[in-house]
Amino acid sequence: MSENIVTPQAHQEYTERYKSLIVVLTVLTTVLAAILAALQSDAGIRSDVANRDSQYLAILASGELHRAGLESNYEFSVFGDYLKNLQEATVLELTALEQEEKGKNDEAQASRELAALSQARADLGEKFSVFYNDPRYAPQSENDLPRAEQYLTDLIEKSNEIVARQNEAADAYNAWNRKADLYVTALTVLAVAFFLFGLAQALKDVRLRLTFAVFGTAVVAFSLLITITTLLI
Amino acid sequence: MNKPNWFTSRFEVINAILIAAVSLTTAFSVWRTNMVGSNAADESRLGIIEAVKKQALDNENYRKVYEEAGFAYQFAVKQAEVQALEASDDPAAQDRAANARQYLLPNLQLFAQPLATDEKYQNPDGTYDLQKRLNDMPTEEEKQLDPSASFARADSLFSEQRWLVIGSVLLAVSLFWLALAEISSERLRSWGFVIGLGVYLFGVVWFLGVEIVFFYMRRGG
Repeated sequence: MSENIVTPQAHQEYTERYKSLIVVLTVLTTVLAAILAALQSDAGIRSDVANRDSQYLAILASGELHRAGLESNYEFSVFGDYLKNLQEATVLELTALEQEEKGKNDEAQASRELAALSQARADLGEKFSVFYNDPRYAPQSENDLPRAEQYLTDLIEKSNEIVARQNEAADAYNAWNRKADLYVTALTVLAVAFFLFGLAQALKDVRLRLTFAVFGTAVVAFSLLITITTLLI
Repeated sequence: MNKPNWFTSRFEVINAILIAAVSLTTAFSVWRTNMVGSNAADESRLGIIEAVKKQALDNENYRKVYEEAGFAYQFAVKQAEVQALEASDDPAAQDRAANARQYLLPNLQLFAQPLATDEKYQNPDGTYDLQKRLNDMPTEEEKQLDPSASFARADSLFSEQRWLVIGSVLLAVSLFWLALAEISSERLRSWGFVIGLGVYLFGVVWFLGVEIVFFYMRRGG
C-alpha cells in the first residue's frame, strides 16, 4: 500500500493556488473601475453643461416673452387708439353732414373741427403703429386690415426658437444624467466584485476561493454589460 | 549560476516605493481633477446668477422704455391735436391751442422725456427711436454682466477636467502594471515594471501638459 506524502512546501503551494489569478482579476477590476469613473465623469460633465444651458435658455425665454408682451401691449394700444380716433373722425364727419342737411351750419362746423382733431390724432397714430409703418404687417390695399396674426407670429418666433433650444438642452440633460446614473450603477456593481475578490483572497479553502473568484468575475461581466449597453444608448 | 544584480535583488522594494509614489500621484491627480470640476461648477453657477441679474435688468429696461414710449406717444398725439387746433379758423380753437401749448404740452413733455426732449431719439417722421433708447439704458455696471464669459470659462474648465480624468486613468493603469510586476515571475516582472513606469511617466507628462495648455488657453486664469 502506498500513500502520498504531502510535504509542507507542497501544502503551502496548494493553499496559495489561484491567489495570483485573483490579484490579476482585482487589478483588472481596478482598471475597469478607473475607466468607468472616467466615463461617469464625462457623462456627469455633459449632464451639468446641458442642465446649465437649459436653465440659461429658460431665463432667456422668459425674458423674451416678457419683452414680447410689453411690445405687443404697446403696439396694440397704439393701434387701438388709432382705430378709435379714425372712427371718431368718420362719425363726426357724418354728424357734420347730417347737421348740414338739417341746416345746422354752426353745429356742423363744430363737428368738423372735432373731426379734424380726431383725424390729426389718427394720422399721427398711423405713423406710430407698426401695423402701418412696417410693410410686413401693413394692409396690402386700402380695404384690407393690417396683418396682426403675422405680427404675432413674428413676435413669438424668437421665444419659440429659444424654447425649442431649451427643450433640446433639457432632453440632453436627461439623457446624460441617465447615462451617469447607469455608470454609477455599474461602479456599485464593481464594488461588489471587489468584495468578492477580497473574500476569495482571504479564504484558505481553495475551492471556496475559486467559487468566489468565479462569482466576482460574473459580477464584473455584469458590470461590463451595463457599461457597454450604456455606451451604446 | 548567475549572481543577481543590485536591481533584481532589490526589485520588490524599489517597485513598492514606485507603487507608493504612483498612488500618491494618482491621489493628487484625482484631487486636482475634482478641484477643476468644482471650479467649473462654480463658474457655471456664477454665469447663471449673472444671467438672472442681467435678465432682470433687461426686463426692467424694456418695461421702462415702453412706459416712456407710451408717454411719448400721448405727447405726440396731443401735440398733433394742438397743431390741428392752431390750424383752425375758429378763434376759440386757437385760444384752446395757445393754452394747451403753453400749459399742457410742457407737462406732457416732461412725462415723455427723454424720448420727446432729446433729439437723438427723434426720427425725422416724428416718431421715436426706441431701439436707440434701449441701447442707451444699461449702466456700465449692467454692461459688465456677461454670463457667456463665465460659461466659456466653465466650459474650458469642464474640458480640462475631462482631459485630467484621462490622466488619472493612465496613472491607475500604471498602478495595475506595477502591481502585476510585483507578483509576477522574473521575466514578466521586468515587462510589467517597464510598461508600468512608462505609462506612469506618460500619465504625469499628460497631466502636466493638460495643466499647462489650459493655463495658457485661459491666459493664466
